[in-house]
Amino acid sequence: MNEIKIRLEECSGCKSCYNACFVDVFRWDKQTKRPIVAYPEDCAECNMCEVTCPKECITVIVDWDKYYPPLFPESVGNLPGRPPAGKAAVK
Amino acid sequence: MIALERLGKVTSTDLLIIGGGISGLAAGMAARETHPDVEVLIVEKNVSGWAGQANRGAGVLMFLGPDDDVDKFIKFHCHHIGAFLEDQELLADFARGTLAAIERFDSWSGRLCRRGDGSLIARRFKPILPWHITGADLDMLVPVRLKAGRAGIKFMDKVTLTDLLKDGDRVVGALGFSLLDGTCHIIKAKATIIATGGDSMKIMNMWSCQRGEGAAAAYRAGAQLRNCEFAPMMEMLNVRSKQAILGAEDVMYNAKGDFLSGWRTECDADCDAFAGIVWHREMLAGNGPITTKNPENRLLQSTIKHAENLEGKDSEDRWVRPFHEKFWGALMRKTVEADGGRKPVSEVIPGIVGEHSPVRVDHNMKTTLDGLYAIGNACYVGSSMVGAVPTPGRIRGSGLTGAIWMGIRGGESAARYAADVAMAEPDAPQTEACKAATFAPIGRSAGVHPTEVVHAVHKAYHPVGYSLHKSKERMEEALGMVLEVKRSLPQMAAPDWHYLSACNEARSMVLTAEVFYRTSLARTESRGWHIREDYPERDDTGWLKWISIRDKDGEPEITTEDIPITRYPVKPGGE
Repeated sequence: MNEIKIRLEECSGCKSCYNACFVDVFRWDKQTKRPIVAYPEDCAECNMCEVTCPKECITVIVDWDKYYPPLFPESVGNLPGRPPAGKAAVK
Repeated sequence: MIALERLGKVTSTDLLIIGGGISGLAAGMAARETHPDVEVLIVEKNVSGWAGQANRGAGVLMFLGPDDDVDKFIKFHCHHIGAFLEDQELLADFARGTLAAIERFDSWSGRLCRRGDGSLIARRFKPILPWHITGADLDMLVPVRLKAGRAGIKFMDKVTLTDLLKDGDRVVGALGFSLLDGTCHIIKAKATIIATGGDSMKIMNMWSCQRGEGAAAAYRAGAQLRNCEFAPMMEMLNVRSKQAILGAEDVMYNAKGDFLSGWRTECDADCDAFAGIVWHREMLAGNGPITTKNPENRLLQSTIKHAENLEGKDSEDRWVRPFHEKFWGALMRKTVEADGGRKPVSEVIPGIVGEHSPVRVDHNMKTTLDGLYAIGNACYVGSSMVGAVPTPGRIRGSGLTGAIWMGIRGGESAARYAADVAMAEPDAPQTEACKAATFAPIGRSAGVHPTEVVHAVHKAYHPVGYSLHKSKERMEEALGMVLEVKRSLPQMAAPDWHYLSACNEARSMVLTAEVFYRTSLARTESRGWHIREDYPERDDTGWLKWISIRDKDGEPEITTEDIPITRYPVKPGGE
C-alpha cells in the first residue's frame, strides 16, 4: 500500500490535507490538532494532500506494485506478455 | 408509530443536494440565485470543495462558441460518438447552453483561463472537431464552496447518505451517517438531488471516488436506470504506473512490430473501446505485450509540452494554471520515476475506468420519482444526452461542462419544485428498515470484509473479455459471479464507520455490475461502446431503442422504448 509520511514537527495544523483527500484517508486529532493517516490502504496517490500542504511536510510514497484487478478471467492461463497480477491486500 | 427523532438526528431543508462536487455546487448556486427563499443543504461524504473528480482531472471544459454550429455538432455527435441513441433535443439544449453555463460557473469560481481582455482562451481539441475547449485551474471548486457559504448554502461534510426516504411514491429526504462518529442522520427535504457522481468501481485511482451509491439508492427507491449497458469507459494505461497515456490508442504496436492503430481516423475524438478490444485480441493471439511509441504520439507530445510550459510559453494564449501544474507535475514526476525514466516505448494495458452514470432523468433532470433529481455523472448516460457512450462521451472536457450544465438546470428545476410543495414526513417504517440495513455490518463481529466484495466484483467486471468485448456466454458467466457476490452481502462486516461506508459502496458496485450485465445481455447488437462478439453489427432496424431497468418487487424489470428518431433532425444513414 502507499505510505503517507507527515513530518508532524513541521505541520502547522491547517487541516489542508484532511480537507483535500477525496477518499477519506485522514482523520483529525482534535487534541493535538494534527492529521492522522487512518486509512492509507485507500490512498489513490492523487498527491492532493502533498501538493496542498503549505508547509510541504507531506510525502506520498507510491507502492506501484499494489493490487490491481485482473485483465483476464481466471480460466485464461498465462499469456505471452501478460502483465503480472498485482498483489491483493485486504486490511 | 416510531418518531424519526428516535432513529437519528433529524434535519430539515427545502432542497437537499447529495454530493458536494462540481455538479452539486453548481446546482446549489443556481438554486439560490433563482430561488433565494429556498434553503439548500449540501451533504458530502468527504469535504465539499475538494470532493469529486473535477479537481483531479485535466481541467478542460468543452463548449460551443458563437462560431460553432449546433446542427453540425449534433450531426457529428450522432455519426461519430453517440451512434444515434442521443436524445437530440436534450443534446441541442446542452450544446446551446454550454458557453453560458461555464461563464456562469466562472462567476462563482474565477478559475477559467482568460486573456487580459477577459476573453476565454480556447482552441479546438483537433481541427476537425466542431467544438472548443478551454482550461480551468484545478482548485476551481474551493472558491465556489466559499461563495456558496456566503450565499447561505449550508454544508454537512463527512456524512454519507445511503438511502432515499419516501412518503408514498415521492422522495422526501435521505438517511445516512457520519463517517467520523457514526451518528445516524435523517434529512427531510422537499426536493432531493443526487450529485454523487457515477461508478468507477474503485479501479483507476484518479476516478475512484465514484462508487455508485447515488444510482444504487435511486434504484432501491424505485427509480429507473437507463443505458446501463454503455460502459465501461476505458483508456490505455502505462502497465507500471496505471496512469493513462493520452493518445496511446493512436500508436499501438504488437510484439511482432505490427501497427495496430490503422482503424483510427481524425474523426475519432478521443479514446475508443475498440483499442481495448484490439489489445485483447492480440494478447489472446500470443502477440503481446502491446506497446505504444511515445515519440510518435502527437497528443502526448503536445500535452507534455503544454504541461512543462514548453508550448507557447510567451504567448498570451497559453493556459496559465499554477495549481494544475503543481498537481500534475508531482504525479508525472513520480510516474516517470516509477518507469525508470522517460522512455520511447511504453507497454500499455486497457484501464477499465467504469464511469457508469445511469440514473434516468428528463430534460429538467427529474428522475422517474417525484421529488428526486439527478445531475452530473450520476445521470450522464441516463439522461440519454450522449447516446451509446459512457461518461465523458469521447469529448474531452464534456465531463466538467456536462456536470456544470446539468447542475445548473437540475438545481433550478429542483428549487422550483421545492418552492411549490409542502414538506412531507418520511415513512417511519421505511426509514427504520433503511437504517437497519445500512447499519447492519457494523454490528457483526466477523464476516465478509467490503474490500473482499470489491475484489470479487473486479474479477467479474475488469477482465476485458467480460465487460468490454462482450458475448452472451462470457456475460452470463460474469453475471453469475456477480450474483454470487451479491449473496454474500448480508454477511458483510464493518470494523468502523469508514468501512461501514465501504460496505455501502461495495453493495452499490455489485448493483452496478448486475444491471450492467443484465442490460448488456438484452441488447443483441453492437453500438457505440457496447461491443458484442456474437452480435458484431449495429441494428438500426431493431435497436434504435433505449433500455431501462428498475426494481419491481425486489426483482429487476427491463423495459425498452423506441427512440423518437422520426422527430429528430439527424437520422442513420449517409455516414
